Amino acid sequence: MTNLLYRTILMSTPLLLGSVAEVFSERCGVMVCAIEGIFLIGAWGGFVGTYLTHNAFIGIMLAILCGTALSALYAFVTVTLGQQQVVTGTALNILAAGFCAFFQRVIFGVPTSPLVIDTLPILRIPILSNIPFIGTILFSQNIITYLAYLLIPLSYYVLFKTSLGLKIRSAGENPVAVDTAGINVTKLRFLTVLVAGSLGGLAGSFYTIGYVGMFTTNIIGGRGWIAFAICFLGNWTPYGVLFGTLAFGLADALSIYIQAVSTSSYFPREIVIALPYALTIILTVMRSNLRVPAVLGIPYKKDN
Amino acid sequence: MAERNTSFNIILYNSVAVIIGLLISTGLLAFMKINPFDIVARTLSKIFADKYNIGEIFVKATPLIFTSLAFAFTYKANLFNIGAQGQFYAGSIAAVSLSLLLGGRVPRVLLILIVFITSALAGALVGGCIGIAKAKRNANEFLVSMMSTYIVNAVMDYLLRTALQETKAEYMQTDAIVPQSYLSIIIPGTRVHSGFIIAVLAAIAVWIILDKTILGFRIRAVGMNKHAAELGGINTKLIFVISFLIAGGLAGMAGVTEINGVQHMLLRNFNSSIGSFGIGIAILANANPIGCIFASILFGFLNVIGTTMGRLPGTAIPASLVELIEGIVMTCVIIATALRVYMGGKAEKQRMKEGGEA
Repeated sequence: MTNLLYRTILMSTPLLLGSVAEVFSERCGVMVCAIEGIFLIGAWGGFVGTYLTHNAFIGIMLAILCGTALSALYAFVTVTLGQQQVVTGTALNILAAGFCAFFQRVIFGVPTSPLVIDTLPILRIPILSNIPFIGTILFSQNIITYLAYLLIPLSYYVLFKTSLGLKIRSAGENPVAVDTAGINVTKLRFLTVLVAGSLGGLAGSFYTIGYVGMFTTNIIGGRGWIAFAICFLGNWTPYGVLFGTLAFGLADALSIYIQAVSTSSYFPREIVIALPYALTIILTVMRSNLRVPAVLGIPYKKDN
Repeated sequence: MAERNTSFNIILYNSVAVIIGLLISTGLLAFMKINPFDIVARTLSKIFADKYNIGEIFVKATPLIFTSLAFAFTYKANLFNIGAQGQFYAGSIAAVSLSLLLGGRVPRVLLILIVFITSALAGALVGGCIGIAKAKRNANEFLVSMMSTYIVNAVMDYLLRTALQETKAEYMQTDAIVPQSYLSIIIPGTRVHSGFIIAVLAAIAVWIILDKTILGFRIRAVGMNKHAAELGGINTKLIFVISFLIAGGLAGMAGVTEINGVQHMLLRNFNSSIGSFGIGIAILANANPIGCIFASILFGFLNVIGTTMGRLPGTAIPASLVELIEGIVMTCVIIATALRVYMGGKAEKQRMKEGGEA
């Protein structure tokens, strides 16, 4: 039980980072549909950086850099050029998959044994980690998890209590008004997507550096899309997505746990694998009172 | 006149984009310390030296025509069906089950007919659910369609492990279907099968539906302006469901061409990227059904280039190069679309200016 909850927190970390990234960009009017590719390239960057330098910090930095670079391309096409976001996202997801697989081969050739890196060490918070039960679950995690949880109040503060947050939210509700107020909507959206990309890259690196210690091209397996979905289900608020990620983290942890335990071949363990995806559909269909940002997905073109 | 001008422009801009994309991606081969020009020349000469390899282009293009139509069809209604992969899997499961069950017991023509109808229905079932979710609950259709792929994949894995698993029970794959259930080869010495012709016919049918029928008019009206269409008395919700049903059916039929035409069995992670390539192809073709045929052949060609390169002796080019090439080409095409619209707008302005002065 403790182990399961510990894993829930562990598995919800990247989803949390990814969905907060989406909250920012979607509040601003841009859906980052390349999130799956950003996760993947982050996972790859994190792996390569850590493997080559034996330094997880450099790995994380490279992951953030890769995620930001891909989101810059995404922002250029969707924000600057105003192209279809879903379509661009699909293209960049394929591009990222090909890019990672290709350069993995360029850098490492065909390895005879699997390439492995050390996963991030567990940081025990003094005193707090000694609390029974809660200490093991909440305060014996790795650094990225702590960062992800600090991000929730921080992003709430930025989005709802600062003038920057007001600008971001207004750009997703009424970009004309924001433009009239003398703020460059394109620039604002571009920068927000870059921030989202860096968070997405960090999220991706969690899978390689923080969890598996290896890189495979199917390591993300749709979790970027799940982060995308959680943003919708969490009603575009940081605290909303926190609940969402915990639910999906639990589903993810359960699925890994049951796969490890089940031995009977007729037991449909695929049900458990499909659980997070089914949950997404069910919740998307059930929730109809969503407060969608008014111009979500619509490119802003200045009339001149 | 204006319309012909636009399609000419689309073809011009997209061709340039494809060429630039190809140049960039072959340039990346330099990272592997391989001379790109040399390797491309060797690959092309290898492909065109052999009828079989040329045929492979059309073999690879066949399912892509279906999946690109599956995206293009809903795209006309301004909906995003990015779950063609799952609909294709549903069709594949139906195709392989029926072929295993009926293969050799019913006449070939009848069997193929049954398999086509059932696979289309299986795909349409998955697609229809997405359409209903969109119509009834206003669920985000691309999210639901994306997730449906993972679910169908899990169902397929389960069946491959249990009910449909091969008699040897060694791998997660089905038994091979009997030759009496194969689609016939239309060009001897290659693997090109009658599925290609069916795919082309399907594209023409989709073009007729979209361009020449009332249903197509309604679909396009909903795509252009949902609210206006509703005011005009069109049942938009019904259009959502119908679009997804047809799109799902199209993707499902790709299952038949792949199972009965090429692979003759179902295996795990079967053709795992034709769904996403379909989206790229539809965009390249500007969602024009006839354009989808040619764009699919182009992607089929890229696919054959990628696999041939990977097999060239003395090089270690990964097969993933295909994905990289296709990703880069798609991105270039999207950027070209933006440029085309921008230049078009500029030319329009110029014309208006001149007209005003005259």
